[in-house]
Amino acid sequence: MFAYVARRVLGLIPVLFGVSLLVFTIPRVIGGDPARVMVGERGSQATYERLREELGLNKPLFFNLKGFDDRGLEGLFDSQYFDFALGAIKGDLGQSLFTLTGVRQGLVARFPATFELTIVAMILAIGLGIPTGILAALRRGTAVDTAVMFIALAGVSFPVFWLAIIMIYLFTVNLGWLPSLGRLDPTMIFHSRTGFYVLDALLQGNWPVLKDALRHLVLPGIALGTIPLAIIVRMTRSSMLEVLGQDYIRTARAKGVQWGSVVNKHALRNAMLPVITVVGLSFGQLLSGAILTETVFAWPGIGRYIYDAIGQRDYPIIQGGVLFVATMFVLVNLFVDLSYAVIDPRIQYA
Amino acid sequence: MKRLTLIAAAVLALSGLAAAQTLVYGESGLPVNLDLPQDGNSLSVQYQVAEPLVLYKPGTTEIRPGLATSWEANDSATVWTFHLRQGVTFQDGTPFNAEAVKFNFDRWNHRDNPYAFPGTKDMAAWTYIFGAFYGESGYLLEKVDAVDDSTVRFTLTQPTGFFPTLLSSSYFGMQSPAAIKKAGAAYGTPSVGLVGTGPFKFQEWVEGDHVTLVRNDNYWGDKAGVERIVFKGIESAPTRLAQLEAGTLDIAVNLSPDDYKVVTGNQNLKQASSGPELSIGYVGFHQANKPFDDVRVRQAVAYAVDQQAIVDAFYGPLGSVATEFIPPGLMGRSDVKAYPYDPEKAKQLLAEAGYPNGFDTKFWYMPVSRPYYPAPKDVAEAFVGYLADVGINAQLNTEDWSIYLSDYDQGKFPMYMLGWNADYPDPNNFINTFFNASESVNGFGWSDANGQKVVSLLSQAAQASDQSTRELDYELASTIIHDQIPALPMVYPRSLNATRTNIDGFLPNAMGTTVSLATVTKK
Repeated sequence: MFAYVARRVLGLIPVLFGVSLLVFTIPRVIGGDPARVMVGERGSQATYERLREELGLNKPLFFNLKGFDDRGLEGLFDSQYFDFALGAIKGDLGQSLFTLTGVRQGLVARFPATFELTIVAMILAIGLGIPTGILAALRRGTAVDTAVMFIALAGVSFPVFWLAIIMIYLFTVNLGWLPSLGRLDPTMIFHSRTGFYVLDALLQGNWPVLKDALRHLVLPGIALGTIPLAIIVRMTRSSMLEVLGQDYIRTARAKGVQWGSVVNKHALRNAMLPVITVVGLSFGQLLSGAILTETVFAWPGIGRYIYDAIGQRDYPIIQGGVLFVATMFVLVNLFVDLSYAVIDPRIQYA
Repeated sequence: MKRLTLIAAAVLALSGLAAAQTLVYGESGLPVNLDLPQDGNSLSVQYQVAEPLVLYKPGTTEIRPGLATSWEANDSATVWTFHLRQGVTFQDGTPFNAEAVKFNFDRWNHRDNPYAFPGTKDMAAWTYIFGAFYGESGYLLEKVDAVDDSTVRFTLTQPTGFFPTLLSSSYFGMQSPAAIKKAGAAYGTPSVGLVGTGPFKFQEWVEGDHVTLVRNDNYWGDKAGVERIVFKGIESAPTRLAQLEAGTLDIAVNLSPDDYKVVTGNQNLKQASSGPELSIGYVGFHQANKPFDDVRVRQAVAYAVDQQAIVDAFYGPLGSVATEFIPPGLMGRSDVKAYPYDPEKAKQLLAEAGYPNGFDTKFWYMPVSRPYYPAPKDVAEAFVGYLADVGINAQLNTEDWSIYLSDYDQGKFPMYMLGWNADYPDPNNFINTFFNASESVNGFGWSDANGQKVVSLLSQAAQASDQSTRELDYELASTIIHDQIPALPMVYPRSLNATRTNIDGFLPNAMGTTVSLATVTKK
């Protein structure tokens, strides 16, 4: 088990190396540059040139051959890529070209927001998705099944921002039931130590803040949860149907096991493997930040951080952000793989 | 546990109290950096904390004394002396005096000043207004001298009659030298904030979430009407409006013109607007692309497009047809009339130019919305629709904004959309921004005798010390531009800003919403 985990963690190295190459290259290939954005509509060519120099954008991309001639090996790596990659190895992701704030600090400030939202969305998606999927499978071909499948289809099909705006108008503007701007009422004064508002409020026993933070999670949580919800419902249903058609289910029934017990003990557990895969993938995806949801609800998360950076070509944020997200994704997947062994004893890692 | 409950009760009491006096201000994003900013979202925060030497009368662009109580120039308007308000201190206790003013300007003007933090920071905005940094081609500010504690003298490289107006620009808020020295390059970032003399003090900036300012109770002028301002960044204009309607925001700026009826029809909201604004949207022609080097073709485009219909459709009451590159409210306008909508005349001009059946070309529209073009694609579609009527087949194109900004300047776009919002209320900031020596050529490929003439008129106007000479120069330049039409002025837009009805004293001026919020009160 330990050897397996160690191997997988080592496997991160080539993955992250590949990611670092891609995330470094792609923003530069698509053109545009941060110096141009910085000088704005009317910057002079001179200002632009100076900025490029100052931002280090005039350095060679990968290997500094001139530096090699002048300074030897150390000069060779005086390039944009190695500045980023060598820094990243030391845990230094550089700083934003625009805000001059550290990228690591920026990620640390935003990750809790994304994490809280992801948890709520996933609780919703799993809590609703699995029972509904089972129900649809057991009532296969009935009106219940059709209705569930229709709603699931709608869930994946509705654009998230559209759903979000409808919810804001319905629940915030017209009914006034739930807030939809950020993580906390702007007039509320709260200093969070860890950035996890729910956790901090709970630890401090600050009930008004806890209540307000939870209320702020509802609408974005629903908006974000719809897509994994729909996928989980469909996956649970089809996986259950497949298992229910297996010989051992018939055998169990033939032996006189109660139907409820067959479903719970024999079918469900076996049907869960593919569902867990989907849950893991969705979880990893949501943790990478949800650009649309975060934008509409002004949610200070990772998705919007990276998205804004892409628009401005803020290379250090794009690079550091994507690297961080990729690491998260790989780790979540590892966790999912390990959980297989818990659920299905036939699977063993050595 | 008892202690926790006490704290909770205290927080509850505090937040209840704060709610009454906290102003929540929604703009399209959080600040980028509060030191050396150039974007509206940063400036509207910075302006509350750091005041320029010269201020505007509330709701107008008429300048009035601020930290400088009076000023005078020598006869040639090359040396300006400013007298400073005495007894003012920065929010960290550092005295505000001539040395502090000199410190601020030296750090902006000199690229090699250690407190300019070269290599990490750049005040691009400096070049918008002062032409260039010290020693570079076209720089304006020669030196700043602290004559005595409360007198500061600016020496310029050329006569500038409107120098005090330049200093009123929101970029030039006075900040504490001690605070800048202490924080280093981190000054202006979320962990440090900024220190000025203004009616509000920086309190906190939670990255990605909000910025909070609190009232400066030692302010030299009238104390602010609210205790605290929270700035929230909400990218989409419809969502900003929704949050204003819900009462989460007290003020929402730069709403979509489409929502004019929603704002005026909602009894909980009121519009906050100054009337005409110093802003323009235009369509540029780049003469490196044939046949736009022919003035008849450019005029044909102007006749072919029904500008009034476009403005009515996409701006409604929030825009008027632009006639020249100096917007209303500034001096030096030639009062030329817009080209009327006359497709027959357009066809005739095209025929004279040798294109009786029109031609194929490309029209580039902006990929982002700006106050001067809130819906660029819609306007572009209408525009090329009119061109098609006279036989000009213009293909619509766009590209990433950061690339767009470098391409328009290199002659890649035969026709393109762009615009401008004022940095300071003077014609120089408009007409000279578009038609100075380098932009005439780079932006429009306009280098013939007429183009040269405009360039020289504009530089003459900038240096003239008396207003009437300047006015005549601008009028003449404006007339030539109208006839030669290197670019077609399209619209003078107004922004849509709104507050809840319990908010008073929010007074945007013709420059937009970067105004002092000290006058705002909340009932």
